[in-house]
Amino acid sequence: MLLEARGLTRRFGGHVAVNNVDLSVRGGTLHAIIGPNGAGKTTLFNLLSGELKPSAGAILFDGCAVTELDITARVRAGIGRTFQRTNIFPGLSVFENLRIAAQARSAKRAALWRRADSLGEVSARAERVLEETSLSEMAHKPARELAGGDQRLLELGVALATAPVMLLLDEPSQGLSPEDARRLIARIRALAARYTVLLIEHNMALVMELSDEITVMNFGAVLARGTPAEIRADARVREAYLGRRG
Amino acid sequence: MRPGQRTGFAVLALVVLAAPAAVNYPTLEAQVLIAALLALGFNLLLGEMGFLSFGQATFNGIGAYCTGLLIKSGWPLLAALGASAGSAALAALVVGALSTQGTGIYAVMLTFAFNEMAYYAAFEWSDLTGGDNGLRGLARPALWGVGLADPRRYYYLVAAVFLVGFFLVLRLTASPFGHVLRAIRENEHRARAVGYRVRRYKVAAFALSGALSGLAGGLFAMLYQFVPLQAIDFNTSTDIVIMGLLGGTGSVYGPLLGAAVYTLMANFLSNLWARWPLILGLLFCSLVMFLRGGLWELCAAVWRRLGALVPRSGRRNSDAGGRRAARLEDRGAA
Repeated sequence: MLLEARGLTRRFGGHVAVNNVDLSVRGGTLHAIIGPNGAGKTTLFNLLSGELKPSAGAILFDGCAVTELDITARVRAGIGRTFQRTNIFPGLSVFENLRIAAQARSAKRAALWRRADSLGEVSARAERVLEETSLSEMAHKPARELAGGDQRLLELGVALATAPVMLLLDEPSQGLSPEDARRLIARIRALAARYTVLLIEHNMALVMELSDEITVMNFGAVLARGTPAEIRADARVREAYLGRRG
Repeated sequence: MRPGQRTGFAVLALVVLAAPAAVNYPTLEAQVLIAALLALGFNLLLGEMGFLSFGQATFNGIGAYCTGLLIKSGWPLLAALGASAGSAALAALVVGALSTQGTGIYAVMLTFAFNEMAYYAAFEWSDLTGGDNGLRGLARPALWGVGLADPRRYYYLVAAVFLVGFFLVLRLTASPFGHVLRAIRENEHRARAVGYRVRRYKVAAFALSGALSGLAGGLFAMLYQFVPLQAIDFNTSTDIVIMGLLGGTGSVYGPLLGAAVYTLMANFLSNLWARWPLILGLLFCSLVMFLRGGLWELCAAVWRRLGALVPRSGRRNSDAGGRRAARLEDRGAA
Protein backbone atom coordinates (compact mmCIF):
# COMPACT_ATOMS: atom_id res chain seq x y z
CA MET A 1 0.00 0.00 0.00
CA LEU A 2 1.32 3.43 -0.90
CA LEU A 3 -1.16 5.32 1.25
CA GLU A 4 -2.96 3.94 4.25
CA ALA A 5 -5.31 5.69 6.65
CA ARG A 6 -6.49 3.95 9.80
CA GLY A 7 -9.38 5.10 11.95
CA LEU A 8 -9.15 8.63 10.59
CA THR A 9 -11.51 10.95 12.45
CA ARG A 10 -11.98 14.71 12.39
CA ARG A 11 -14.41 16.59 14.59
CA PHE A 12 -15.41 20.24 14.24
CA GLY A 13 -16.96 21.01 17.61
CA GLY A 14 -19.82 18.55 17.95
CA HIS A 15 -19.90 17.71 14.25
CA VAL A 16 -17.97 14.65 13.10
CA ALA A 17 -16.95 15.45 9.52
CA VAL A 18 -14.84 12.33 9.03
CA ASN A 19 -15.71 9.33 11.17
CA ASN A 20 -13.31 6.42 11.67
CA VAL A 21 -12.34 6.10 8.01
CA ASP A 22 -9.98 3.37 6.81
CA LEU A 23 -8.53 3.84 3.36
CA SER A 24 -5.90 1.90 1.43
CA VAL A 25 -4.55 3.03 -1.91
CA ARG A 26 -2.29 0.66 -3.80
CA GLY A 27 0.65 2.18 -5.66
CA GLY A 28 0.02 2.71 -9.38
CA THR A 29 -3.77 2.64 -9.15
CA LEU A 30 -6.45 5.26 -9.56
CA HIS A 31 -8.71 5.33 -6.55
CA ALA A 32 -11.84 7.49 -6.51
CA ILE A 33 -13.78 8.80 -3.54
CA ILE A 34 -17.40 9.55 -4.23
CA GLY A 35 -20.38 10.45 -2.11
CA PRO A 36 -23.16 13.03 -1.78
CA ASN A 37 -22.40 16.64 -0.87
CA GLY A 38 -21.30 16.98 2.73
CA ALA A 39 -20.16 13.35 2.94
CA GLY A 40 -16.73 14.48 4.20
CA LYS A 41 -14.70 13.89 1.04
CA THR A 42 -12.85 17.18 1.03
CA THR A 43 -12.23 17.02 4.77
CA LEU A 44 -10.70 13.58 4.23
CA PHE A 45 -8.48 15.11 1.53
CA ASN A 46 -7.44 17.88 3.88
CA LEU A 47 -6.46 15.26 6.44
CA LEU A 48 -4.49 13.25 3.89
CA SER A 49 -2.68 16.27 2.43
CA GLY A 50 -1.83 17.70 5.85
CA GLU A 51 -4.02 20.77 5.60
CA LEU A 52 -5.86 19.58 8.72
CA LYS A 53 -4.72 17.54 11.68
CA PRO A 54 -6.90 14.51 12.45
CA SER A 55 -8.67 14.30 15.82
CA ALA A 56 -7.82 10.60 15.85
CA GLY A 57 -6.27 8.00 13.58
CA ALA A 58 -3.04 7.56 11.66
CA ILE A 59 -1.80 8.04 8.12
CA LEU A 60 1.00 6.01 6.55
CA PHE A 61 2.61 7.06 3.30
CA ASP A 62 5.02 4.64 1.69
CA GLY A 63 5.30 2.87 5.04
CA CYS A 64 6.16 6.01 7.04
CA ALA A 65 3.88 7.68 9.55
CA VAL A 66 3.06 11.15 8.19
CA THR A 67 0.21 11.96 10.59
CA GLU A 68 2.21 14.66 12.37
CA LEU A 69 3.67 16.25 9.22
CA ASP A 70 2.14 19.50 7.97
CA ILE A 71 1.20 20.18 4.35
CA THR A 72 4.65 21.52 3.41
CA ALA A 73 6.41 18.42 4.71
CA ARG A 74 3.93 16.09 3.02
CA VAL A 75 4.43 17.76 -0.37
CA ARG A 76 8.12 17.17 0.09
CA ALA A 77 7.39 13.56 0.97
CA GLY A 78 5.63 13.24 -2.40
CA ILE A 79 1.93 13.91 -1.78
CA GLY A 80 0.81 16.55 -4.26
CA ARG A 81 -2.70 17.91 -4.37
CA THR A 82 -5.06 20.13 -6.31
CA PHE A 83 -7.92 22.11 -4.84
CA GLN A 84 -11.63 22.13 -5.53
CA ARG A 85 -11.55 25.89 -5.95
CA THR A 86 -8.77 26.93 -8.29
CA ASN A 87 -5.80 27.86 -6.16
CA ILE A 88 -2.99 29.26 -8.30
CA PHE A 89 -0.73 32.35 -8.28
CA PRO A 90 -3.00 34.74 -10.21
CA GLY A 91 -0.53 37.57 -10.87
CA LEU A 92 2.33 35.32 -12.00
CA SER A 93 2.71 34.00 -15.53
CA VAL A 94 1.65 30.45 -16.31
CA PHE A 95 5.29 29.43 -16.66
CA GLU A 96 6.24 31.09 -13.37
CA ASN A 97 3.36 29.27 -11.63
CA LEU A 98 4.90 25.99 -12.68
CA ARG A 99 8.50 27.13 -12.19
CA ILE A 100 7.92 28.30 -8.61
CA ALA A 101 6.20 25.00 -7.79
CA ALA A 102 9.13 23.07 -9.27
CA GLN A 103 11.60 25.29 -7.41
CA ALA A 104 10.14 24.12 -4.09
CA ARG A 105 11.80 20.73 -4.67
CA SER A 106 15.22 22.22 -5.46
CA ALA A 107 17.96 22.39 -2.81
CA LYS A 108 18.62 25.96 -3.98
CA ARG A 109 15.01 27.07 -3.54
CA ALA A 110 15.96 29.87 -1.09
CA ALA A 111 19.24 30.99 -2.70
CA LEU A 112 19.83 34.75 -2.61
CA TRP A 113 22.87 35.16 -4.77
CA ARG A 114 21.98 33.41 -8.02
CA ARG A 115 19.35 33.99 -10.64
CA ALA A 116 16.18 31.96 -10.40
CA ASP A 117 16.34 31.15 -14.11
CA SER A 118 19.79 29.66 -13.66
CA LEU A 119 18.29 26.66 -11.85
CA GLY A 120 18.38 24.41 -14.91
CA GLU A 121 16.56 21.36 -13.59
CA VAL A 122 13.78 23.56 -12.17
CA SER A 123 13.12 25.32 -15.47
CA ALA A 124 13.32 21.99 -17.28
CA ARG A 125 10.65 20.44 -15.09
CA ALA A 126 8.43 23.50 -15.52
CA GLU A 127 8.86 23.20 -19.31
CA ARG A 128 7.93 19.51 -19.19
CA VAL A 129 4.76 20.17 -17.22
CA LEU A 130 3.94 23.07 -19.52
CA GLU A 131 3.94 20.68 -22.46
CA GLU A 132 2.14 17.95 -20.53
CA THR A 133 -0.72 20.31 -19.75
CA SER A 134 -0.64 21.85 -23.28
CA LEU A 135 -0.38 25.33 -21.84
CA SER A 136 2.76 26.22 -23.82
CA GLU A 137 0.98 28.78 -25.96
CA MET A 138 -0.03 30.86 -22.97
CA ALA A 139 3.18 30.37 -20.99
CA HIS A 140 3.73 34.09 -20.57
CA LYS A 141 0.16 35.12 -19.82
CA PRO A 142 -0.69 36.03 -16.23
CA ALA A 143 -2.58 33.08 -14.75
CA ARG A 144 -5.61 35.24 -13.92
CA GLU A 145 -6.20 35.93 -17.62
CA LEU A 146 -6.69 32.26 -18.46
CA ALA A 147 -10.10 30.79 -19.24
CA GLY A 148 -11.66 28.64 -16.52
CA GLY A 149 -10.75 25.33 -18.14
CA ASP A 150 -7.15 26.36 -18.62
CA GLN A 151 -6.96 27.51 -15.02
CA ARG A 152 -8.07 24.03 -13.93
CA LEU A 153 -5.28 22.60 -16.07
CA LEU A 154 -2.79 24.97 -14.50
CA GLU A 155 -4.05 23.94 -11.08
CA LEU A 156 -3.18 20.37 -12.04
CA GLY A 157 0.14 21.50 -13.52
CA VAL A 158 1.20 23.26 -10.31
CA ALA A 159 0.66 20.00 -8.42
CA LEU A 160 2.57 18.02 -11.07
CA ALA A 161 5.49 20.46 -10.98
CA THR A 162 6.14 19.60 -7.34
CA ALA A 163 7.19 16.13 -8.61
CA PRO A 164 4.73 14.10 -6.54
CA VAL A 165 4.61 10.34 -6.13
CA MET A 166 0.90 10.49 -5.41
CA LEU A 167 -1.66 12.99 -6.63
CA LEU A 168 -4.77 14.00 -4.70
CA LEU A 169 -7.21 15.56 -7.18
CA ASP A 170 -10.18 17.36 -5.61
CA GLU A 171 -12.95 17.59 -8.21
CA PRO A 172 -10.74 18.41 -11.18
CA SER A 173 -13.74 18.68 -13.53
CA GLN A 174 -15.48 21.24 -11.32
CA GLY A 175 -16.81 24.11 -13.42
CA LEU A 176 -15.71 22.64 -16.74
CA SER A 177 -17.81 22.42 -19.88
CA PRO A 178 -18.60 18.81 -20.98
CA GLU A 179 -16.07 19.24 -23.75
CA ASP A 180 -13.31 20.36 -21.35
CA ALA A 181 -14.28 17.63 -18.90
CA ARG A 182 -13.76 15.02 -21.61
CA ARG A 183 -10.33 16.36 -22.40
CA LEU A 184 -9.53 16.27 -18.72
CA ILE A 185 -10.49 12.60 -18.50
CA ALA A 186 -7.95 11.80 -21.19
CA ARG A 187 -5.32 13.73 -19.30
CA ILE A 188 -6.06 12.06 -15.97
CA ARG A 189 -5.94 8.66 -17.63
CA ALA A 190 -2.49 9.52 -18.95
CA LEU A 191 -1.42 10.65 -15.49
CA ALA A 192 -2.69 7.47 -13.88
CA ALA A 193 -0.07 5.52 -15.82
CA ARG A 194 2.72 7.39 -14.03
CA TYR A 195 1.28 8.44 -10.68
CA THR A 196 -0.86 6.95 -7.99
CA VAL A 197 -4.03 9.03 -8.08
CA LEU A 198 -6.67 9.62 -5.45
CA LEU A 199 -9.63 11.41 -6.97
CA ILE A 200 -12.72 13.13 -5.63
CA GLU A 201 -15.26 13.50 -8.40
CA HIS A 202 -18.95 14.13 -8.87
CA ASN A 203 -18.99 13.24 -12.52
CA MET A 204 -20.09 9.61 -12.27
CA ALA A 205 -19.30 8.69 -15.87
CA LEU A 206 -15.79 9.95 -15.38
CA VAL A 207 -15.35 8.00 -12.16
CA MET A 208 -16.67 4.72 -13.53
CA GLU A 209 -14.49 5.00 -16.59
CA LEU A 210 -11.22 5.84 -14.85
CA SER A 211 -11.14 4.15 -11.47
CA ASP A 212 -9.50 0.91 -10.44
CA GLU A 213 -11.18 1.16 -7.09
CA ILE A 214 -13.89 3.31 -5.54
CA THR A 215 -14.63 4.28 -1.95
CA VAL A 216 -18.11 5.65 -1.29
CA MET A 217 -18.59 7.99 1.65
CA ASN A 218 -21.75 9.14 3.36
CA PHE A 219 -22.16 11.12 6.58
CA GLY A 220 -18.39 11.13 7.15
CA ALA A 221 -18.04 7.35 7.10
CA VAL A 222 -17.19 4.75 4.48
CA LEU A 223 -20.38 3.31 3.02
CA ALA A 224 -18.90 0.91 0.51
CA ARG A 225 -15.75 0.11 -1.39
CA GLY A 226 -14.99 -1.96 -4.45
CA THR A 227 -14.43 -1.97 -8.18
CA PRO A 228 -16.64 0.25 -10.37
CA ALA A 229 -18.78 -2.77 -11.27
CA GLU A 230 -19.29 -3.70 -7.61
CA ILE A 231 -20.17 -0.13 -6.68
CA ARG A 232 -22.61 0.14 -9.56
CA ALA A 233 -24.40 -2.94 -8.26
CA ASP A 234 -24.40 -1.92 -4.59
CA ALA A 235 -27.88 -1.24 -3.27
CA ARG A 236 -26.70 0.93 -0.34
CA VAL A 237 -24.88 3.24 -2.73
CA ARG A 238 -27.96 3.68 -4.90
CA GLU A 239 -29.95 4.47 -1.82
CA ALA A 240 -27.50 7.12 -0.62
CA TYR A 241 -27.54 8.80 -4.01
CA LEU A 242 -31.13 8.40 -5.07
CA GLY A 243 -33.00 7.98 -1.81
CA ARG A 244 -35.00 4.89 -0.80
CA ARG A 245 -37.48 3.78 -3.39
CA GLY A 246 -41.03 3.41 -2.16
CA MET B 1 20.41 40.94 -13.79
CA ARG B 2 18.55 41.06 -17.06
CA PRO B 3 19.96 43.37 -19.77
CA GLY B 4 17.12 45.84 -19.15
CA GLN B 5 17.91 45.88 -15.45
CA ARG B 6 21.59 46.38 -16.17
CA THR B 7 20.87 49.46 -18.28
CA GLY B 8 18.44 50.70 -15.66
CA PHE B 9 21.05 50.36 -12.97
CA ALA B 10 23.73 52.04 -15.08
CA VAL B 11 21.48 55.02 -15.80
CA LEU B 12 20.52 55.30 -12.15
CA ALA B 13 24.16 55.14 -11.05
CA LEU B 14 25.05 57.86 -13.52
CA VAL B 15 22.26 60.11 -12.28
CA VAL B 16 23.16 59.52 -8.65
CA LEU B 17 26.85 60.18 -9.19
CA ALA B 18 26.31 63.28 -11.36
CA ALA B 19 23.56 64.83 -9.21
CA PRO B 20 25.67 67.09 -6.95
CA ALA B 21 27.64 68.36 -9.95
CA ALA B 22 24.41 69.29 -11.74
CA VAL B 23 22.54 70.76 -8.77
CA ASN B 24 24.66 71.68 -5.81
CA TYR B 25 22.55 70.60 -2.82
CA PRO B 26 24.56 67.60 -1.61
CA THR B 27 22.95 67.43 1.83
CA LEU B 28 19.42 67.39 0.42
CA GLU B 29 20.45 64.92 -2.25
CA ALA B 30 21.98 62.65 0.39
CA GLN B 31 18.68 62.86 2.25
CA VAL B 32 16.84 61.74 -0.89
CA LEU B 33 19.08 58.69 -1.21
CA ILE B 34 18.66 57.82 2.46
CA ALA B 35 14.88 58.07 2.11
CA ALA B 36 15.16 55.92 -1.00
CA LEU B 37 16.93 53.20 0.99
CA LEU B 38 14.11 53.28 3.53
CA ALA B 39 11.47 53.09 0.80
CA LEU B 40 13.37 50.25 -0.83
CA GLY B 41 13.38 48.30 2.43
CA PHE B 42 9.68 48.96 2.88
CA ASN B 43 8.87 47.83 -0.64
CA LEU B 44 10.76 44.60 -0.21
CA LEU B 45 7.99 43.71 2.22
CA LEU B 46 4.98 45.32 0.53
CA GLY B 47 5.78 45.25 -3.18
CA GLU B 48 7.56 41.91 -3.29
CA MET B 49 5.98 39.94 -0.46
CA GLY B 50 2.65 41.72 0.00
CA PHE B 51 3.17 42.56 3.68
CA LEU B 52 2.37 46.09 4.85
CA SER B 53 4.83 47.12 7.56
CA PHE B 54 3.76 50.14 9.54
CA GLY B 55 6.84 50.04 11.73
CA GLN B 56 9.86 50.63 9.50
CA ALA B 57 11.04 53.53 11.69
CA THR B 58 11.91 50.96 14.37
CA PHE B 59 14.77 49.69 12.22
CA ASN B 60 15.72 53.15 10.99
CA GLY B 61 15.93 54.36 14.58
CA ILE B 62 17.90 51.38 15.84
CA GLY B 63 20.37 51.85 12.99
CA ALA B 64 20.70 55.56 13.73
CA TYR B 65 21.25 55.10 17.47
CA CYS B 66 23.65 52.24 16.87
CA THR B 67 25.84 54.27 14.52
CA GLY B 68 25.65 57.30 16.80
CA LEU B 69 26.73 55.39 19.88
CA LEU B 70 29.48 53.46 18.14
CA ILE B 71 30.92 56.60 16.55
CA LYS B 72 30.94 58.20 19.98
CA SER B 73 32.95 55.29 21.31
CA GLY B 74 35.43 55.67 18.50
CA TRP B 75 34.43 53.00 15.95
CA PRO B 76 35.41 53.53 12.32
CA LEU B 77 32.56 54.73 10.12
CA LEU B 78 32.06 51.68 7.92
CA ALA B 79 32.21 49.30 10.87
CA ALA B 80 29.58 51.38 12.65
CA LEU B 81 27.34 51.36 9.56
CA GLY B 82 27.78 47.61 9.21
CA ALA B 83 26.88 47.11 12.85
CA SER B 84 23.80 49.30 12.32
CA ALA B 85 22.64 47.15 9.44
CA GLY B 86 23.25 44.06 11.57
CA SER B 87 21.50 45.24 14.70
CA ALA B 88 18.52 46.55 12.74
CA ALA B 89 18.33 43.23 10.88
CA LEU B 90 18.31 41.43 14.21
CA ALA B 91 15.54 43.66 15.54
CA ALA B 92 13.59 43.11 12.31
CA LEU B 93 14.07 39.37 12.70
CA VAL B 94 12.36 39.52 16.08
CA VAL B 95 9.62 41.93 14.97
CA GLY B 96 9.08 39.87 11.82
CA ALA B 97 8.91 36.57 13.69
CA LEU B 98 6.32 37.95 16.09
CA SER B 99 4.30 40.06 13.62
CA THR B 100 3.93 37.37 10.98
CA GLN B 101 2.18 35.20 13.53
CA GLY B 102 -0.85 37.39 12.99
CA THR B 103 -2.60 37.73 9.66
CA GLY B 104 -4.08 40.69 7.81
CA ILE B 105 -4.72 43.81 9.83
CA TYR B 106 -3.46 42.19 13.06
CA ALA B 107 -0.03 41.64 11.60
CA VAL B 108 0.06 45.27 10.45
CA MET B 109 -0.98 46.44 13.91
CA LEU B 110 1.79 44.37 15.48
CA THR B 111 4.47 46.14 13.43
CA PHE B 112 2.93 49.41 14.62
CA ALA B 113 2.85 48.25 18.25
CA PHE B 114 6.53 47.25 18.19
CA ASN B 115 7.35 50.64 16.73
CA GLU B 116 5.60 52.35 19.63
CA MET B 117 7.45 50.14 22.11
CA ALA B 118 10.79 51.00 20.51
CA TYR B 119 9.87 54.68 20.56
CA TYR B 120 9.08 54.72 24.26
CA ALA B 121 12.17 52.70 25.03
CA ALA B 122 14.28 55.31 23.22
CA PHE B 123 12.38 58.12 24.91
CA GLU B 124 12.81 56.71 28.42
CA TRP B 125 16.35 55.45 28.08
CA SER B 126 17.70 58.97 27.77
CA ASP B 127 21.11 58.15 29.28
CA LEU B 128 21.81 56.22 26.13
CA THR B 129 19.74 57.95 23.45
CA GLY B 130 19.48 61.49 24.77
CA GLY B 131 15.70 61.00 24.92
CA ASP B 132 13.77 63.98 23.67
CA ASN B 133 16.94 65.98 23.09
CA GLY B 134 18.36 63.44 20.73
CA LEU B 135 21.84 62.01 20.50
CA ARG B 136 24.10 64.96 19.83
CA GLY B 137 27.65 65.82 18.96
CA LEU B 138 28.55 63.11 16.48
CA ALA B 139 31.71 63.96 14.55
CA ARG B 140 32.11 62.39 11.12
CA PRO B 141 35.31 60.37 11.22
CA ALA B 142 37.57 60.27 8.21
CA LEU B 143 37.31 57.28 5.90
CA TRP B 144 40.66 55.77 4.91
CA GLY B 145 42.31 59.11 5.65
CA VAL B 146 39.79 61.10 3.59
CA GLY B 147 37.91 63.67 5.64
CA LEU B 148 34.13 63.62 5.19
CA ALA B 149 33.30 66.98 6.74
CA ASP B 150 32.64 68.37 3.26
CA PRO B 151 28.95 67.62 2.45
CA ARG B 152 29.80 66.65 -1.10
CA ARG B 153 32.28 64.03 0.02
CA TYR B 154 29.78 62.63 2.46
CA TYR B 155 27.22 62.56 -0.34
CA TYR B 156 29.48 60.27 -2.32
CA LEU B 157 29.73 57.89 0.60
CA VAL B 158 25.91 57.83 0.85
CA ALA B 159 25.68 57.37 -2.93
CA ALA B 160 28.07 54.41 -2.82
CA VAL B 161 26.16 52.72 0.01
CA PHE B 162 22.86 53.40 -1.75
CA LEU B 163 24.03 51.96 -5.05
CA VAL B 164 25.38 48.84 -3.36
CA GLY B 165 22.08 48.45 -1.51
CA PHE B 166 20.04 48.95 -4.67
CA PHE B 167 22.21 46.49 -6.57
CA LEU B 168 21.64 43.90 -3.86
CA VAL B 169 17.88 44.44 -4.06
CA LEU B 170 17.98 43.95 -7.83
CA ARG B 171 19.91 40.69 -7.34
CA LEU B 172 17.47 39.64 -4.68
CA THR B 173 14.37 40.20 -6.81
CA ALA B 174 15.84 37.99 -9.56
CA SER B 175 16.91 35.24 -7.13
CA PRO B 176 14.99 32.07 -6.23
CA PHE B 177 14.34 33.66 -2.82
CA GLY B 178 12.82 36.76 -4.46
CA HIS B 179 10.57 34.60 -6.60
CA VAL B 180 9.29 32.81 -3.50
CA LEU B 181 8.43 36.19 -1.94
CA ARG B 182 6.29 37.02 -4.97
CA ALA B 183 4.60 33.63 -4.78
CA ILE B 184 3.77 34.38 -1.14
CA ARG B 185 2.36 37.75 -2.20
CA GLU B 186 0.18 36.14 -4.86
CA ASN B 187 -1.11 33.21 -2.82
CA GLU B 188 0.36 32.40 0.54
CA HIS B 189 -1.72 29.28 1.03
CA ARG B 190 -0.64 27.74 -2.24
CA ALA B 191 2.99 28.67 -1.58
CA ARG B 192 2.76 26.55 1.54
CA ALA B 193 0.96 23.79 -0.36
CA VAL B 194 3.72 23.47 -2.99
CA GLY B 195 6.32 23.08 -0.26
CA TYR B 196 7.62 26.41 1.06
CA ARG B 197 8.01 27.20 4.74
CA VAL B 198 6.32 30.56 4.32
CA ARG B 199 7.04 31.89 7.80
CA ARG B 200 10.79 31.50 7.38
CA TYR B 201 10.75 33.45 4.12
CA LYS B 202 8.72 36.21 5.71
CA VAL B 203 11.08 36.53 8.66
CA ALA B 204 14.13 36.49 6.37
CA ALA B 205 12.56 39.23 4.23
CA PHE B 206 11.97 41.26 7.38
CA ALA B 207 15.63 40.91 8.34
CA LEU B 208 16.79 42.09 4.90
CA SER B 209 14.35 44.98 4.97
CA GLY B 210 15.59 45.84 8.47
CA ALA B 211 19.22 45.80 7.32
CA LEU B 212 18.48 48.32 4.56
CA SER B 213 16.53 50.53 6.97
CA GLY B 214 19.27 50.32 9.61
CA LEU B 215 21.85 51.33 7.05
CA ALA B 216 19.68 54.31 6.11
CA GLY B 217 19.37 55.24 9.79
CA GLY B 218 23.14 55.14 10.27
CA LEU B 219 23.75 57.28 7.19
CA PHE B 220 21.13 59.74 8.40
CA ALA B 221 22.76 60.00 11.84
CA MET B 222 26.08 60.91 10.27
CA LEU B 223 24.49 63.26 7.73
CA TYR B 224 23.12 65.57 10.42
CA GLN B 225 25.64 64.41 13.05
CA PHE B 226 22.68 64.00 15.31
CA VAL B 227 19.98 61.41 16.02
CA PRO B 228 16.61 63.01 16.76
CA LEU B 229 14.01 60.99 18.65
CA GLN B 230 11.95 61.43 15.49
CA ALA B 231 14.17 58.83 13.79
CA ILE B 232 12.32 56.08 15.64
CA ASP B 233 8.95 57.86 15.76
CA PHE B 234 5.86 56.23 14.30
CA ASN B 235 5.35 59.32 12.11
CA THR B 236 8.53 58.39 10.29
CA SER B 237 7.02 54.96 9.61
CA THR B 238 4.01 56.71 8.09
CA ASP B 239 6.29 58.84 5.92
CA ILE B 240 7.95 55.68 4.64
CA VAL B 241 4.58 54.10 3.81
CA ILE B 242 3.57 57.26 1.94
CA MET B 243 6.83 57.34 -0.02
CA GLY B 244 6.37 53.73 -1.04
CA LEU B 245 2.76 54.10 -2.16
CA LEU B 246 3.39 57.51 -3.77
CA GLY B 247 6.05 56.06 -6.04
CA GLY B 248 4.27 52.77 -6.59
CA THR B 249 5.02 49.28 -5.33
CA GLY B 250 4.96 47.51 -8.68
CA SER B 251 8.56 48.25 -9.66
CA VAL B 252 11.86 48.58 -7.79
CA TYR B 253 12.12 52.12 -9.18
CA GLY B 254 8.75 53.19 -7.78
CA PRO B 255 9.91 53.62 -4.17
CA LEU B 256 12.96 55.58 -5.34
CA LEU B 257 10.73 58.00 -7.20
CA GLY B 258 8.35 58.22 -4.24
CA ALA B 259 11.20 58.92 -1.82
CA ALA B 260 12.61 61.61 -4.10
CA VAL B 261 9.27 63.35 -4.67
CA TYR B 262 8.34 63.18 -0.99
CA THR B 263 11.69 64.47 0.29
CA LEU B 264 11.88 67.29 -2.24
CA MET B 265 8.27 68.32 -1.58
CA ALA B 266 8.89 68.30 2.16
CA ASN B 267 11.94 70.44 1.66
CA PHE B 268 10.66 73.08 -0.73
CA LEU B 269 6.98 73.29 0.16
CA SER B 270 7.55 73.45 3.90
CA ASN B 271 9.55 76.64 3.33
CA LEU B 272 6.69 78.20 1.40
CA TRP B 273 3.69 77.02 3.34
CA ALA B 274 3.52 75.45 6.78
CA ARG B 275 0.45 73.40 5.81
CA TRP B 276 2.12 71.71 2.85
CA PRO B 277 1.10 68.24 4.03
CA LEU B 278 -2.38 69.20 2.78
CA ILE B 279 -1.03 69.18 -0.77
CA LEU B 280 0.73 65.91 -0.11
CA GLY B 281 -2.51 64.50 1.30
CA LEU B 282 -4.45 65.49 -1.82
CA LEU B 283 -1.81 64.00 -4.07
CA PHE B 284 -1.77 60.83 -2.00
CA CYS B 285 -5.57 60.48 -2.00
CA SER B 286 -5.86 60.99 -5.73
CA LEU B 287 -3.14 58.43 -6.40
CA VAL B 288 -4.78 55.87 -4.15
CA MET B 289 -8.17 56.51 -5.76
CA PHE B 290 -7.21 56.78 -9.41
CA LEU B 291 -3.75 55.37 -9.89
CA ARG B 292 -2.92 52.44 -7.67
CA GLY B 293 0.40 51.97 -9.39
CA GLY B 294 1.63 55.32 -8.09
CA LEU B 295 3.76 57.94 -9.82
CA TRP B 296 5.94 55.31 -11.45
CA GLU B 297 2.90 53.84 -13.19
CA LEU B 298 1.92 57.36 -14.26
CA CYS B 299 5.36 57.92 -15.79
CA ALA B 300 5.14 54.55 -17.54
CA ALA B 301 1.69 55.41 -18.94
CA VAL B 302 2.88 58.80 -20.20
CA TRP B 303 5.90 57.15 -21.77
CA ARG B 304 3.66 54.62 -23.54
CA ARG B 305 1.51 57.45 -24.87
CA LEU B 306 4.55 59.27 -26.19
CA GLY B 307 5.73 56.02 -27.75
CA ALA B 308 2.40 55.69 -29.55
CA LEU B 309 2.75 59.20 -30.99
CA VAL B 310 6.07 58.42 -32.63
CA PRO B 311 5.48 57.64 -36.34
CA ARG B 312 5.73 53.97 -37.25
CA SER B 313 8.86 54.27 -39.31
CA GLY B 314 10.65 55.83 -36.39
CA ARG B 315 10.14 52.76 -34.24
CA ARG B 316 12.39 49.79 -34.23
CA ASN B 317 10.50 46.61 -33.45
CA SER B 318 6.96 47.80 -32.90
CA ASP B 319 6.03 44.25 -31.86
CA ALA B 320 8.69 43.89 -29.19
CA GLY B 321 6.58 44.89 -26.25
CA GLY B 322 9.04 43.40 -23.81
CA ARG B 323 11.88 45.36 -25.26
CA ARG B 324 9.84 48.53 -25.13
CA ALA B 325 8.95 47.89 -21.53
CA ALA B 326 12.65 47.42 -20.82
CA ARG B 327 13.53 50.66 -22.53
CA LEU B 328 10.75 52.31 -20.62
CA GLU B 329 12.27 51.15 -17.37
CA ASP B 330 15.63 52.51 -18.37
CA ARG B 331 14.25 55.87 -19.33
CA GLY B 332 12.11 56.15 -16.26
CA ALA B 333 15.12 55.61 -14.05
CA ALA B 334 16.61 58.76 -15.47
